[in-house]
Amino acid sequence: MPNKEKEVTRGVMESDTIIAAQSRDIRIRVNGLWRSFKLEADLSAATTLAYVLREKLGFTGLKVSCDEGACGACTVIQDGKAVLSCMVLAIEADGHDILTIEGLPKDDSVVEAFAEQSEPGYGTAMQCGYCTPGFVMTARALLNENPTPTLAEVKDALAGNICRCGCYAGIAQAVLRASAKITAKRSEV
Amino acid sequence: MNERFKQRVPRKFVGGYRPKIDGPDKASGKAQYADDMTIKMRFPDMLYAKILRSPHPNARIKKFDLSKAEALAGLVSIMTYKDPEFASLKLTNAGWTDCVDTVTWDRMMFPFRDRRVLGEYACWVGDEMGIAVAAESEEIADEALKLIDIEWETLPFTLDPIAAMKKDAPLVHPDLYATNVLPPDPTGGQDIFEDRGDVGADFKKADFVVEVNSTHHNATQASMDNWCCLMQWETDQLTVWSNSYAADQLRMHISEMLGLPLHKIRAIASYVGGQFGRGDTGDQPFFLITSLLAMKTGRPVKYRHTRHQSFLNTRQPAIYTCKAGAKKDGTITSLYFKSIGNVGAYADLSMFALKFVPKELAEVVLAHIPNLRMESYGVYTNVIPGCMMRGVGNSQFNLIFAHIVDALAEKLGMDPIDLCIKNFAHEWEDLPSKSLEAVLHEGARRIGWKENRHQPGKGQVYDGVKKRGIGFSCHPSWHAEWQEKRRGKVQVNMTLNPDCTVLLNAASIEVGGGSNTCNVLGCAEALSFLGIGVEDIHWTSIVDTNDGIKDCVQTDSAVSFLQPEVMIHSAKELKEKLREAAAEILKLQPSEIDFVDGKVIVSSQPSLNMTVKELLRKGDNAPITVSKSRSPDVKPTGIPFFANFAEVEVDTSTGKVAVQKLFVINDCGTVMYASGAESQQIGGQCMGMGEALTEEIIYDKATGIPLNFNWVDYTIPTMADMPDIDPVLLEVWKGGGEYGACGIGEGTVSCTPGAILNAIYNAIGVRVNDIPIKPEKILKALGKD
Repeated sequence: MPNKEKEVTRGVMESDTIIAAQSRDIRIRVNGLWRSFKLEADLSAATTLAYVLREKLGFTGLKVSCDEGACGACTVIQDGKAVLSCMVLAIEADGHDILTIEGLPKDDSVVEAFAEQSEPGYGTAMQCGYCTPGFVMTARALLNENPTPTLAEVKDALAGNICRCGCYAGIAQAVLRASAKITAKRSEV
Repeated sequence: MNERFKQRVPRKFVGGYRPKIDGPDKASGKAQYADDMTIKMRFPDMLYAKILRSPHPNARIKKFDLSKAEALAGLVSIMTYKDPEFASLKLTNAGWTDCVDTVTWDRMMFPFRDRRVLGEYACWVGDEMGIAVAAESEEIADEALKLIDIEWETLPFTLDPIAAMKKDAPLVHPDLYATNVLPPDPTGGQDIFEDRGDVGADFKKADFVVEVNSTHHNATQASMDNWCCLMQWETDQLTVWSNSYAADQLRMHISEMLGLPLHKIRAIASYVGGQFGRGDTGDQPFFLITSLLAMKTGRPVKYRHTRHQSFLNTRQPAIYTCKAGAKKDGTITSLYFKSIGNVGAYADLSMFALKFVPKELAEVVLAHIPNLRMESYGVYTNVIPGCMMRGVGNSQFNLIFAHIVDALAEKLGMDPIDLCIKNFAHEWEDLPSKSLEAVLHEGARRIGWKENRHQPGKGQVYDGVKKRGIGFSCHPSWHAEWQEKRRGKVQVNMTLNPDCTVLLNAASIEVGGGSNTCNVLGCAEALSFLGIGVEDIHWTSIVDTNDGIKDCVQTDSAVSFLQPEVMIHSAKELKEKLREAAAEILKLQPSEIDFVDGKVIVSSQPSLNMTVKELLRKGDNAPITVSKSRSPDVKPTGIPFFANFAEVEVDTSTGKVAVQKLFVINDCGTVMYASGAESQQIGGQCMGMGEALTEEIIYDKATGIPLNFNWVDYTIPTMADMPDIDPVLLEVWKGGGEYGACGIGEGTVSCTPGAILNAIYNAIGVRVNDIPIKPEKILKALGKD
């Protein structure tokens, strides 16, 4: 993506590094599979991870909504940490491990809890659903690190994600429910 | 912690607390939105379109040079206002209808035809105009636009509606109108569009007269799902994938403007990531521009907005004044409302907010006020167009309504709750309104109205500088079925398969409001004689105009019940057809046969033990299909009310307002889906609180350039900002039909600013009546600026 603005705002690299990156393939491990890309045609040193994941690999769960790190809809997990894939360059993800929402197991506790949320007084955990994959992945990363967060910790961790439908009460409830599910699963083992 | 809602009539499916039907799709990231359905992988040969956005608030392209752009590798096509494809198009607007109905160009709701599809005139900074390109990538398309040399004729501009009304103000549309003030129109009516009794005479004899004002600024819809469409032109057939929420109207819009017959246009939509009224409901010129680029290049063309570009229109800003006259006993004898609306660059549906909605409110809440005058002026300026946004017109009106109620009650020495109950009801009910009493008394009970409310500014002081207060606002809900007459036929197709599963086609684009879930629950409820569950019903998120039925658009917040009401009738017809099929199979008279909870009941054979499923297996295996088109029942049943109560804490040293708790009380008629309704109530507070406290578009006054078209500087509340919210569902009023429900989702935003504004007044004893209420306004009101 030959976009100077994006190079300036997103790239933290020196121009020498960009030239070096353009001269080779990049390899990203996405949902357990290594994928290789040549920096040619629509891919360049300025291409975002979000673009590669959505447009080249078809992982459309993540959404590009603000495209500048303000809303969290594009959140994926890189090496265990939640990152905004619109703010990560594909070349920065070179050699790293990326988990998108498509890579979660079918019975993922967070996904289940978001889908099921209907506890009276809190509403559902989504309406339009556009922000949901971002919330799910942010919550997943939180629970990986802290399986039993308090409500305050949940609010703190998810305050970088915007839900324009305003389902924050239902989302917080879903995360707490997911936490309980994870604890229950662990005690079963 | 919260009290559960209790159903007036127990039902198996409708009204319960349960997960969303589309929850698994959405929670797992599988739900497909327009941008997902049109990725490069699926359309490898697609091009990307970009449209020039004006850098000037009031300007005209004098001439342009395309040569550098045309030389750019990867640039495929450039089209300009000079091309006959565009020069020949009719003037239009971007909101032919509020999307209740599908309309043709000649029947647009407000006939302000002030938009060129791709014209040489620029009327605000950000106007999509003049030149459009199609290229192999979005970056190349952007680069091509930058390479076009344009010579502009820049003109003086105006940003403020009061200034723009003056005789010597720069004109926004000099070629169309000789003044910036919109002329009266057939739908909105005259400048004074409501005038009953004699307000002037009554103000002279009233015991008390109070006058207040309020300003509602330009919050924007900020749907997460940026506008997106892909146009494919193959074998003289235009296929449209988009995130418009009105497929049938989109098809009509393209047909009318480009002269294509309807059967040559196929509009497809799936989930939409939030609508909230954006885009003036959708007759946007960019659909036509993208279509023409696809037709010219013969390749699929995708057009989508960046977040910055998605700031395309806003809530219709309104400066209101209101004067009220009342007797000593609290009877309001006269009300006079006047509003001036900053229409921005294009009129579109501005008069919907400024005249159409207040006119309706004159009947559904102010029906018992004997002297009533309403007056409004829409004014063109060179800013982003004001238009539809969730709670259109109602939010603006409610801000002044909340204010006048509070101010008048204080002057009368009366509880504002009592003042509302004494005066407000719809035209078909006597005072007091049972619905209004119910929502206000429930809200008062929950917030501890009597105990916690104090004289304005006279409450306890916390931490030396913080003061707390409570306030409320109330409003009539919308829409009940009788108000949906304009929608015309509501259509549903239902098919019973030979294995007793059901195919449901209740076309409605799911923007988040929960229509899919309400429809599936309504279908299961209506077909309860089959003994089926939700899992036996096939539904789809895809709306496709080639299915041959009109989609029921999620506007007016009424789709939660419109199609389920039709399904009651579809189910009756389906039962009759099933009875006929059973008569053939069992060789009996149809009148002998009935179906209860999935069992076949034959009056002459009480011992028959057969399920409907077993019965169907003996038949011809042909699906039983029912297509139902039904006009809304127009029996006038009035409408219910809703109210919001707010508790705030104001830091008098910094001016910061912290909302402590919000209560939302909706009388729903019938709750169609409790979890979804509560979600709407809770979610609406987020948007309402944003409008009340933070959300506003800011301009550089010297250049007319908007400064915060992004989500860092345009601040939407996050999880960390929102207080506890108590959603309360009631069933007091009932409309016509089986459910007699009323929309609630849209309205839940409308009372929040008024309730917060009144709570702030109760806290600090000084009125701030200009939203968003940012800290500097509080400090100024307190004399600390």
